[in-house]
Amino acid sequence: MFTILKIVQSLVKALNSEATPNQVAAGFVLGAALGLTPLVSLHNLIVVAAIALFRVTVPGAILGWLVTIPLGFLLDPVFDAVGRALLIDADGLTPLWTTVTNTPVLSLANLNNTIVLGSLLTWAAVGLPLFVIARVGILQYRRHVYPRIATWRVFRVLKASKAYNVYRMFRP
Amino acid sequence: MTARPKLFRWQAIVPLSLLLLLLAVGAWLFLDTIVERGIEDSATFLVGAQVDLASADVRIGDGSVTLRGLQVTNPDAPMTNLVQADEIVVNIRMEPLLERKLHVDTVGIRGVRFGTPRETSGALENPPAGAGRIRREIDAWADRMRIPPLSLEGLGQAINVDAVDPDSLRTVAQAQLARAQADSMRESWTARLVALDPRPRIDSAGALVERLQAADPARLGVTGVTQLAADARGTLQDVQRLQAQITSLDSAARNGLAVVTAQLDAVADAQAADVRYALGTLRLPSLEGPQLSPAIFGDAALDWIQPVLYWIRLAEEYLPPGLDPRRYAGPKRTRASGTTVVFPDRDAAPRLVLGHADADLAIGGEGVAAGSYRARVTGLSSAPALYGRPMTLEVGRGDAVRGPRDVRAFAMLDHVSTPIRDSLDVVVSGFALPSLELDALGARLLLGEGTTALRLRRAGDRIEARWSWRTPAASWEPLQGAPPTAEGAAIGSRAWAEALLWDAVSGIRDVGIEVRIGGTIQQPSLGVSSNVGDAVARSLQRVVGREVERAEREVRERVNALVQAEVDRAEVAVAALQTTVADRIGAPLAELGDVQALIENEIRRLTGRLPGGLRIPGDR
Repeated sequence: MFTILKIVQSLVKALNSEATPNQVAAGFVLGAALGLTPLVSLHNLIVVAAIALFRVTVPGAILGWLVTIPLGFLLDPVFDAVGRALLIDADGLTPLWTTVTNTPVLSLANLNNTIVLGSLLTWAAVGLPLFVIARVGILQYRRHVYPRIATWRVFRVLKASKAYNVYRMFRP
Repeated sequence: MTARPKLFRWQAIVPLSLLLLLLAVGAWLFLDTIVERGIEDSATFLVGAQVDLASADVRIGDGSVTLRGLQVTNPDAPMTNLVQADEIVVNIRMEPLLERKLHVDTVGIRGVRFGTPRETSGALENPPAGAGRIRREIDAWADRMRIPPLSLEGLGQAINVDAVDPDSLRTVAQAQLARAQADSMRESWTARLVALDPRPRIDSAGALVERLQAADPARLGVTGVTQLAADARGTLQDVQRLQAQITSLDSAARNGLAVVTAQLDAVADAQAADVRYALGTLRLPSLEGPQLSPAIFGDAALDWIQPVLYWIRLAEEYLPPGLDPRRYAGPKRTRASGTTVVFPDRDAAPRLVLGHADADLAIGGEGVAAGSYRARVTGLSSAPALYGRPMTLEVGRGDAVRGPRDVRAFAMLDHVSTPIRDSLDVVVSGFALPSLELDALGARLLLGEGTTALRLRRAGDRIEARWSWRTPAASWEPLQGAPPTAEGAAIGSRAWAEALLWDAVSGIRDVGIEVRIGGTIQQPSLGVSSNVGDAVARSLQRVVGREVERAEREVRERVNALVQAEVDRAEVAVAALQTTVADRIGAPLAELGDVQALIENEIRRLTGRLPGGLRIPGDR
């Protein structure tokens, strides 16, 4: 229960913190990679490292992850179709995939799986539009929604709890 | 002016490193479980039934993996293990693991047993799509195989030939088709011939020939001869045009006649097929050994041959030739698995290489194959084209006292290039062959000690195999109760039939059964021969031969009576067509040929006699 509360608090604070909309949106986009692509994949290790190392908001990434998890499940047939088109139907790309899947370490990334490749490339393709949409959404939120909910008692309780200190460690 | 935010969060390096360390430690701690689950999941998908592994012990430093308590469920008998192994020690190379490749130097397998009972069912509640596909395909093939029945019941009853349904006979329709086509062609060609109306022109040309023959060049002079020759050439051209038209008609008519004649041949074939069909509806037994052996041993042969086909197909699936990308079901996960495509690299090593494996196999229990064996596998590779050498499997007898006296098995799977070539030679002798329950005979055949030999060759899509079972010490027992007797039983009754078959086979001690497979690997044909079938045939011929012959004769006469009138009409129609082609088309064509030759001769005669050797225009 405490964990859920902490996450909610983190999300709320991320949306309302001093972090720039760019940082929150970038975190959201990186988090979306975790939700859209199969979680236990080598590339997601890199994504997690990027979330930690770059000054993007961690709660933003968590938000992106949580929002896109159901989308990932729903879009699996689309990812599969994209992966099939590239791995199976595109004969011209065979030399590329042959190199990729026979290169040490890179071959561990499972890029020869239709779902992994399809979801990763779809995420890469929608990354920029997603960033723009997230950024606009955060601006709109801060401008129109936040002034209203800031007066809510539950919001003030969340913001004042001790978990806020944990969040501060990662706050940009 | 606001300060530009810093890009890196340096203070996160330590927590991130700790996280990675935690993951590494977690993987290290759970590596055994991960490998265990991975093997269980992959093998379960491959077999189509539960595969259990008691433990896996991975020692990265030593490059070894020890698997213990492997149980592979038999998909056809979920309470039985197809194979069970106490311990498998695998020595692997670590470097290829970075490329998701498994290169095994040696494998030692201990305590392999087959057909052991399971404590719990190994059937899959929700088998993954594609799991056990090959087994299902082979089962479907076996279901489609038609084992001919052997039924003697009803032989003594009067044959009800009226039960043969005329509507079910193909001959009538085939004959009607041939007749209709012959009539149609005849009318069409006659109409075309009438339209051409060659007679007046032939008669006119004939009259010209007479004029030419009567003409004297000396009396006609140059002018007269020239005029007459010009007339002759005009008529000649007309004759040639007519001849070309009738020749075209003749050619079409002969082609059509060939089609109709072929249809008439098909009528004869249909008539023979209808007789066979009608005999089939009466379920009359075959009296020939080659037909009886499949009826007796067909089911047993299918049971023997299915595992062979399964392993051959499996080897093709997982050791494919060439370097084309290969597709497999993706890894099992909560989300969709997708498809994993493997791209073999000409300059890289295969995904799986097993250089050498030795196994001590023990087949427990009191079964026919119980005993100890030694097996050796070399050159197993997921991409034989890259590995460059065929895989070999050698099995020999172990040191144990029990089991067959002699076991020799050698298999070579050459999938280095297409067409793939598999060969398998197995000879096992000096052991108790299995007993067979032969429902067709109502008897159990106890084969006793003997020899079995399997020789299989596969080249590309074609397969040829011969599996023989021989014993000099067979014995028989009825499937139920005491040996049947025909005393007081009516011919054609069940008791009579059982007694007849029992008498035919119960004295046979020397039994040989040969199962043959041919054709394509996807849809192989199955043949069975045995001296038991021959013995049953001889007995049947002796006792019921006359009955069967009588029944066959009645059926043949009945079918012929039903179809003969229509067949006769078809033959008459085709004969009329032949007459039309010969008389109404062939005859005028021949006349035109004669007239043409006569006109040409007369033109030459007339122009050749002109005084002074004069030539007239158009003369060659």
